[in-house]
Amino acid sequence: MVHFTAEEKAAITGLWAKVNVEEAGGEALGRLLVVYPWTQRFFDSFGNLSSASAIMGNPKVKAHGKKVLTSFGEAIKNLDNLKGAFAKLSELHCDKLHVDPENFRLLGNVIVIILATHFGREFTPDVQAAWQKLVSGVATALAHKYH
Amino acid sequence: MLSVQERAHIAQVWDLIAGQEALFGAELLRRLFTVYPSTKVYFRHLGDHPDEVQLLNHGQRMLQAVGVAVQYMDNLRAVLSPLADLHAQVLRVDPTNFPLVIQCFQVVLASHLQGEFTVEMQAAWDKFLTGIAVVLTEKYR
Repeated sequence: MVHFTAEEKAAITGLWAKVNVEEAGGEALGRLLVVYPWTQRFFDSFGNLSSASAIMGNPKVKAHGKKVLTSFGEAIKNLDNLKGAFAKLSELHCDKLHVDPENFRLLGNVIVIILATHFGREFTPDVQAAWQKLVSGVATALAHKYH
Repeated sequence: MLSVQERAHIAQVWDLIAGQEALFGAELLRRLFTVYPSTKVYFRHLGDHPDEVQLLNHGQRMLQAVGVAVQYMDNLRAVLSPLADLHAQVLRVDPTNFPLVIQCFQVVLASHLQGEFTVEMQAAWDKFLTGIAVVLTEKYR
């Protein structure tokens, strides 16, 4: 069970309040698909993924990215019970979507990098540490119901 | 194999780091030790609480090696051979730690370049740094 200190929670919620979830979500999913092209295996129905610019501009990628990051926002409201908050989504990713949990770790790292591009120097080592802890906790929670 | 465009992105980003290897290296290590404290076991010679001077010195060594890799990116195996020997015989850093360094490296680049850190740069550097890690661990067994 991952535990966040008051400072870590502040670093997380403070930054999150300034994030444009729609933009950041599309950016995150897009970068995942470009930097780690094998992740495209889950998105055959998304149309044109033939180049970096095609991926970043793809409306389905943007929409799905927004959906994923919005759900991330729910995690932030439930920092003390990530496993509970993601139980249903975990079952979905295992039973219906068949997603290797390694992909959650990859996406989590991409989200952290995007936050660094947005916040620059404000994204200090301590802030990064809090966020890496969060994305790691979410990845674990999403893998928790796998069987 | 790095494409022409990937090589260009790598060189372009390196232009920003060149001459400031110590500063970037120190930040890399600071992030590594803060975010992934277990990595400190490989840096005992820097003490329990490395000071700024130690981080700058060691960080500079690491980033200068990356600079050599940038200069000879077509021939990493040959040019990094002494470092590969060092990692295999002396340092013996568990291979799972390299992705942690790579993540921190990307965050350093992203936080400095911000909006200019394009997806193509991120992809090229991830591929390049992963290639370096492969070479550094290739002689492990």
